Amino acid sequence: MTAAFPGAVGCAGKPTRDFTYVASRRRRLSEYEAVTCHTQPDVLTFDQVGWMLRDANGRPPWVTESTALHHPNWFAFRDPASHWQRTYVRMQAEQERGIARSVEDAAAHGVLDEFDPVWVREILGRHYRAWSYAEYGLFRAFAVAQRETLSDTLGNVYCFEAFDRMRHAQAIVLHLLELEDHVEGFADDGAKAVWLEDPRYQPTRQLVEELVASNDWGELAVVTNLVFDPILTEVAVSQLVRRFGPFHGDPVTAHLVGTTERDRRRNLGWTQEMVRMVTDESVPEREKNSEIIRDWITSWTPRVREAARAMADVYDVPPLQVARFDDVLAAAQGTQEQLVEGLPLSVEVRV
Amino acid sequence: MRNLIKAHERVKDFDWEHSYAEKPDRYPTKYKIPRKTKDPFRHLIRDYVSMEQEKDDRQYGAMEDALARSNSAGKAQPRWMEILKIALPTVNFGEYAAMKSCGQLVDTVDNAELRQGYMAQMLDEVRHTNQEIYLNRYFAKHAADPEGFHIGLKARGINMFGIAGRAALEAFFVGDPIEGALNLQVVAETAYTNPIFVTLTEVAAANGDNVTPSVFLSIQSDEARHMANGYSTLAAVVSNEDNLKYLQDDFDRAFWRQHSFLDPFLGTVYDYFQKDRGNSYREKWTEWIAEDWVGSYISKMEPYGLAVPECFAVAEEHMKWKHHTTAMLAAASWPFHFWRWDPLTQSDFEWFENKYPGWYKLYGGFWENFAQITKASDGINPMAAFEALPPLCQVCQMPCIMPRLDCSEVRFREHVGRTLPFCGAMCEKIFFDEPIRYEQTRNFWQQNDGTSLDEYIVNSGLLRSDGHTLIAQPSLDTDRMWTIDDVRAWGMEITDPMVAISAQLAVTNGSGGAPASNGSSNGSSNGAVNGTSA
Repeated sequence: MTAAFPGAVGCAGKPTRDFTYVASRRRRLSEYEAVTCHTQPDVLTFDQVGWMLRDANGRPPWVTESTALHHPNWFAFRDPASHWQRTYVRMQAEQERGIARSVEDAAAHGVLDEFDPVWVREILGRHYRAWSYAEYGLFRAFAVAQRETLSDTLGNVYCFEAFDRMRHAQAIVLHLLELEDHVEGFADDGAKAVWLEDPRYQPTRQLVEELVASNDWGELAVVTNLVFDPILTEVAVSQLVRRFGPFHGDPVTAHLVGTTERDRRRNLGWTQEMVRMVTDESVPEREKNSEIIRDWITSWTPRVREAARAMADVYDVPPLQVARFDDVLAAAQGTQEQLVEGLPLSVEVRV
Repeated sequence: MRNLIKAHERVKDFDWEHSYAEKPDRYPTKYKIPRKTKDPFRHLIRDYVSMEQEKDDRQYGAMEDALARSNSAGKAQPRWMEILKIALPTVNFGEYAAMKSCGQLVDTVDNAELRQGYMAQMLDEVRHTNQEIYLNRYFAKHAADPEGFHIGLKARGINMFGIAGRAALEAFFVGDPIEGALNLQVVAETAYTNPIFVTLTEVAAANGDNVTPSVFLSIQSDEARHMANGYSTLAAVVSNEDNLKYLQDDFDRAFWRQHSFLDPFLGTVYDYFQKDRGNSYREKWTEWIAEDWVGSYISKMEPYGLAVPECFAVAEEHMKWKHHTTAMLAAASWPFHFWRWDPLTQSDFEWFENKYPGWYKLYGGFWENFAQITKASDGINPMAAFEALPPLCQVCQMPCIMPRLDCSEVRFREHVGRTLPFCGAMCEKIFFDEPIRYEQTRNFWQQNDGTSLDEYIVNSGLLRSDGHTLIAQPSLDTDRMWTIDDVRAWGMEITDPMVAISAQLAVTNGSGGAPASNGSSNGSSNGAVNGTSA
């Protein structure tokens, strides 16, 4: 078609009309792979001349020691959700519009006025608002981790998870601001003190601060998405805020939580894929990687369970007992154990 | 209607004093940043994602609809389209490096207001990275000559100018995060995104390419927020007097690191690949960098303790010639690259002489000659016209021939038993201020030393799909294109010019050591390429 146009070359073979340097996972190069792969330079392949600049200690832009995991080619990682910026932003814009619309509808039909006052004040205003700090802490942890990951495809999923976490934190704040407009006397101003001082939240705060302080991006994803979220977020948010809400006249907050659960599923998916990748039989260090992942899970799981148990009393606060804390925790632990059992690790994980 | 002021206040109150675990000092900074500053980012995520989605839909929608149906990419001036083969992947690393810079800033700058801005910029940079590679792929699909676009990021990695681009842009995120922000937000984004994403779109549109403007202007709409991040970061830095003792040096260095690559590179793109001609790069540089950035921004920082870099005057003087010298070398070394040249014509000469008085006397002869040696059937090696190809600066990786061959400021200095080349005084100073940051850097010549040129071309994948014809050509002529056999006939071997230069300097000094400075004035001591021309 273009042969008629100036500049066309018709005498040097049929030109290749797509990128030839990306090893596509499927037969045809996906849009996701095309716009993501090799945006990060790789001194083992195309950028063999090496790094051009080092920091004041002689450290180059990326170092393999940024995680204890080993892989001969981190660039082989692919996000199972195949997100690039456009698809990611479109998804989050849809989720945010959904939240805004459901709150708007609820406000218009007086649903917000029907929320149980104890539910609003104690669970939403104190507990859920305190949780926004946990999400913010995880934003910080993932924002740094994306800097250090050893390939572009990994950097992007970490960046998107960082953004997810900030979105969750902000969505909570905006949701409660709407409630302030509709529920007389309601304010969330005590929540920061809850986060900082209430003994029920201190084990969680400690975990979050340790994740922010951790220096291994592989550990961060494994711990957050395979341990912290399946147990602690499940108990503190999904089973309490989402499940109890409708019984306290609040069908709206569940929608917000639902969007965070969608993000959680996505983040779990790529973390499982990352574990699969580093334990694949083609990877020389697969045994060592399995042991490292096992050690991360076994060292963090008891403390995450402990942090969840510390919130047991919070389940007594809602006027209606929709579920018992012990049952909820047991179920979350059971699901998380199944997740861990499903990982292709060559070593047994005993917590 | 939600209370926006309250919303902004609350989302910026997420930070707390950590007491259970101390965050390691991952990216140490010598700067002290106040905990509270002005807020550069006045969007909530809800508004941000909605806004970005709309911009994406408009841009990608246009590319896939009206621009595809009108075949804008296929009909654009081929001269212009050729340079995008290197320009897009090179600029792209700036976006990716910026994303990493934001991660460092989130970690290091303990200030919730600034963190919000860095967070949005982090995702913006993923956006720009994706947009530019999408555009690159779009041209692989739709350009009249797609070869070169199809290997963009791979070719960037092996190309001498792609490598020099990486040298400048790694400064966004390697080192003190605040120094990175100076490089990224204060210099590159505030000074240079206008020449890149605004003025280049004028050239593109004038040359029939309406696709690049769609993407670049959409990118630029985010850059305004990044400039605000830069301003807020800078305001936070100058608010503490203790910071001022470091700031000027870091700022000077940041300006020079970005100038030393971006100006010769952009100037070449701008001036040598326009067909339907308008303004010159120097005119636009004067408007955006000298008048707007320096005149309206940096010079107004003086009361706060930040002065216009001293090296700015040097840069301004160099701007008369630097990119012409670069373009000449890039054209002479065309077989190394992955785009085609369109030799300059008489009307181009007139334009250059008009825009850069004295240009013809200095460069006209080269281009007159270049136009005569483009025929593959003649088989003339363009590099044979030079006594040597120049060494590459240990810091900026640009050829040590600036600002002009006849008045090059090249200098050689000994460092730990090695003789190292520098393009001028500023890069030399930057190196010796912190040698640990640059001493391990290898350059293009070192990487390919001992390889024959034809072997380099084949191994780098710089052949067209027939496996025979070079992607790079010295003209747009398609009657008899240059093939690998033509290059093979030259029998050229790539050699690191510093081997011969070091030896020559040792003889000159009679001690085996290199002189302290100014070892050579024109970098032509010996050949980077040995061989015979046909």
